[in-house]
Amino acid sequence: MATKSLRKATEGRERASEHEGFLRHQGYKWLKIALTIAAVALLIYAFNDVQPRPNGGSIYGYTTGTIGVGLILWLAWLGVRKRAITPGRWSLKSWTSAHVYLGLSLIVIASLHTGFDFGWNIHTLAYALMMLVIFSGIFGITAYAMLPQALSANRGETTQIQMLDNLRTLDRQLNEAAQPLDADGAAIVRMALEDDPFGGGLIARLSGRYPRCGTRAALDAVRAHHVREEGVADPYDHVEVLLERKKSSLSRIRKHLRLKALLEVWLYVHVPLTFALIAALFAHIVSVFYYW
Amino acid sequence: MSFIVRTVARTADGREIVRPKVFDKAELSVGRSPSSDIHLADLAVVLNHAVIRQSGGTVEIAATAGLPFIVNGKQSEHERFSASAGADVRIGSHSLEFEPGEGEEKGSVVITVNRVGAISNASEEKEEARVFSLGHVLPGKRTMAWIGALLVLAVFLAWPLASIHTQPTDATRKVAFHADEMWTSGHLSQTHKSLENNCQACHVKAGESVRDTACVACHSKVHDHADPAKLIEAKGSPGIVGGIKQAVGGVFGIQPGRCVECHTEHQGKTAMPVTDERFCTNCHNGMSGRIQTTLKDATDFGAGHPQFEPTIRFAGAGGVPMFRRVSLDANPREDNGLKFPHDLHLSTTNGVAQMAKSLGKGEGYGAPLECANCHTRDATGNSFAAVKMEPACGACHSLAFDQVGGTVRTLRHGDPAQVVADIRAFYRAGAPRAAALMGMDRRRPGDFATASQRIDFAQTSAMHIGSADQAIRAVFSKGGACFDCHTVRQTGNPNTPFAVTPVALSKRYMTKGWFDHAAHDTESCVSCHAVKGSKSSADVNLPKLAKCQECHGGQDAHKEVPSACAMCHDYHRTGFAPLMVRSHRVRGKDVEHIEEKALKGAGTGA
Repeated sequence: MATKSLRKATEGRERASEHEGFLRHQGYKWLKIALTIAAVALLIYAFNDVQPRPNGGSIYGYTTGTIGVGLILWLAWLGVRKRAITPGRWSLKSWTSAHVYLGLSLIVIASLHTGFDFGWNIHTLAYALMMLVIFSGIFGITAYAMLPQALSANRGETTQIQMLDNLRTLDRQLNEAAQPLDADGAAIVRMALEDDPFGGGLIARLSGRYPRCGTRAALDAVRAHHVREEGVADPYDHVEVLLERKKSSLSRIRKHLRLKALLEVWLYVHVPLTFALIAALFAHIVSVFYYW
Repeated sequence: MSFIVRTVARTADGREIVRPKVFDKAELSVGRSPSSDIHLADLAVVLNHAVIRQSGGTVEIAATAGLPFIVNGKQSEHERFSASAGADVRIGSHSLEFEPGEGEEKGSVVITVNRVGAISNASEEKEEARVFSLGHVLPGKRTMAWIGALLVLAVFLAWPLASIHTQPTDATRKVAFHADEMWTSGHLSQTHKSLENNCQACHVKAGESVRDTACVACHSKVHDHADPAKLIEAKGSPGIVGGIKQAVGGVFGIQPGRCVECHTEHQGKTAMPVTDERFCTNCHNGMSGRIQTTLKDATDFGAGHPQFEPTIRFAGAGGVPMFRRVSLDANPREDNGLKFPHDLHLSTTNGVAQMAKSLGKGEGYGAPLECANCHTRDATGNSFAAVKMEPACGACHSLAFDQVGGTVRTLRHGDPAQVVADIRAFYRAGAPRAAALMGMDRRRPGDFATASQRIDFAQTSAMHIGSADQAIRAVFSKGGACFDCHTVRQTGNPNTPFAVTPVALSKRYMTKGWFDHAAHDTESCVSCHAVKGSKSSADVNLPKLAKCQECHGGQDAHKEVPSACAMCHDYHRTGFAPLMVRSHRVRGKDVEHIEEKALKGAGTGA
């Protein structure tokens, strides 16, 4: 992953990581290659006088188009390649590094292929899909570079299962604590118990906001429910404590879910749109040569 | 009359523990209250939820707090069923299974109490990898990929293909959206706007690049530029890149020299773009080295254009008029048969100027002569109408010779025989008065121009000529009315002793190019035509190349008016002016340049 690596040398008991992320793999080899490709492409474009104006049908247009489609198919092949993790020169890490940087160079290559001639047609659709795929990839890299630390900080030492078990324990305790309550009290506690910690749609996951959170509603209801007497044991007291604990436990889970969602969401754009892009590219190529 | 309640509990490892309890009574209470006979630690159950009664072979279950339960899948608050048949009752998250006792328990009703629902949502079985991932709230990536790809293929490939193969291409085709329009690479030019939703009008066959036959289907009268074989010869070697392009094109049946090479479409809703200069210079740059031609090489209007060679009329052997293209650098002299010094007529101080002033505004003058007094635009506005003697010259150069009553008699212009006959007739009638037949220096100019002066005609004519022959000789000789402007020769024929060399003014000097006077309205005539110093009508007062180059450069020049070849030259030799001249359209910003200049000229420009 895109971790920051090669930190300071080992200090005390802390060991420096030898890990080198795919972004700085081999001393930014693929970044350099991609920049070279982009620079050469731009240079040729600048000095290539196409009349009446640059377009995909010129010699350079066909060249960039062919390179572009080849690159897109190769980039998409990462989906197959990543399932075989191999070391060495053609390691998966090297492949991923190339995927990122060559994918970025595609912005230049494909934009030059268009000649900046856009319209409401299949050709511009293919370009737009490609740009969306690239931008979702950029988002993904940014997320991979920034979010894992936050994810790990939020999680502490607990695993996902432990988070869930913690919640289940609290629910059991809540269930027990609520047994003496009347029907109204039971209904309040059930709001918290029936709350799906994994409910809420995509927006809730990404924003971390759950406006219809049953636990919070239950807590508010318990606090508003009735005046408790001083010094008298009241089952509501225990329920309230438990609900507060559940709320904090839930908020940690939801933050975890949010960070995970932000880490994962780009792939839900990147992958499906890649296939839509390949389909659009196919239609683009067919149409161009059908109506030559 | 007893119940056996078997309460099933589960250990952490999923093992079931069954605790049976026997109740020897006819009624059991069910509820969350610990005092209930059947105690359900279930928050969906109220403290006293229901009672179960047994009488005879029937079991009755009734809600006590008005909260329903489910019996055999049916919601109810009161239900009876046969003990022998049993029933499945759901209260909250618990299942109460009623069965008749067997063996030792015969006669009892066995109730198996089992928790079937988890105590909370979180306690339900969850697939960790799934619920914690975004896949839990989104359709799968694979599903979305399939949907997206198929949608794109259906809308942008299948639909257009279906449209192409089902829609008619003839006149019955509807003028409406057709799916293959989504394949367009840009809007068509304004000229071809009507073809916007009929791709197959030009793209006739699938996979075949646009052929000239598609263009010629409508443009049936377009003339070839030259013999196609000669064109290819003139073009010379295509070079490495061009050669490869040609070779690749050849594989796909694309021949060089197609219409679309110069006329590029799908460039947006503009006028069809003016053909690029390079399509001309491809051949005309260094062409004289490749083919036998009288044409001079041209590379760019600003940097490599030969001097203009207007078609000049001159007298060949025996006075036969001949035409030849002569470079303006050779200062050609034209033989048009007319004597006309421009300098004399455009002077602001001499007698001509004074006369024009004295003629007054009523006659269309009133000031020293200017070009427009004689030269008027033709109907197109591009060019000028031929100068006619009577309106242009006649106001001053009168051919009047007699007055009968209030009517002035004039000699007939353009007909020497008639002139001779009229003069003879005048003298035969007795000639009681002198005829005014002399040239302009013999009498006051303008004598016959105004009505008041016409009356005094006889008195102001100073010359007295004795006979008709003398008068005829005088008219056709130096100082006579004809001789002033025309070249006169003697015929030796006593009836018509003199003949006038016909005047032939050039209608168009530049037959290989076009010039639009209307587009140059911002200029004055003399800023290009140096006529003020022209003493003879033999002068060819056309501006030289350098004059044009003051404003015009090649198409990419940083000049006021970048000018591609097509601004003046027509490739197809249709006899029409080139598109740019016809429509006054020039490349892009040049229109603004001209407009800007016109505004400046009018004093309103910024």
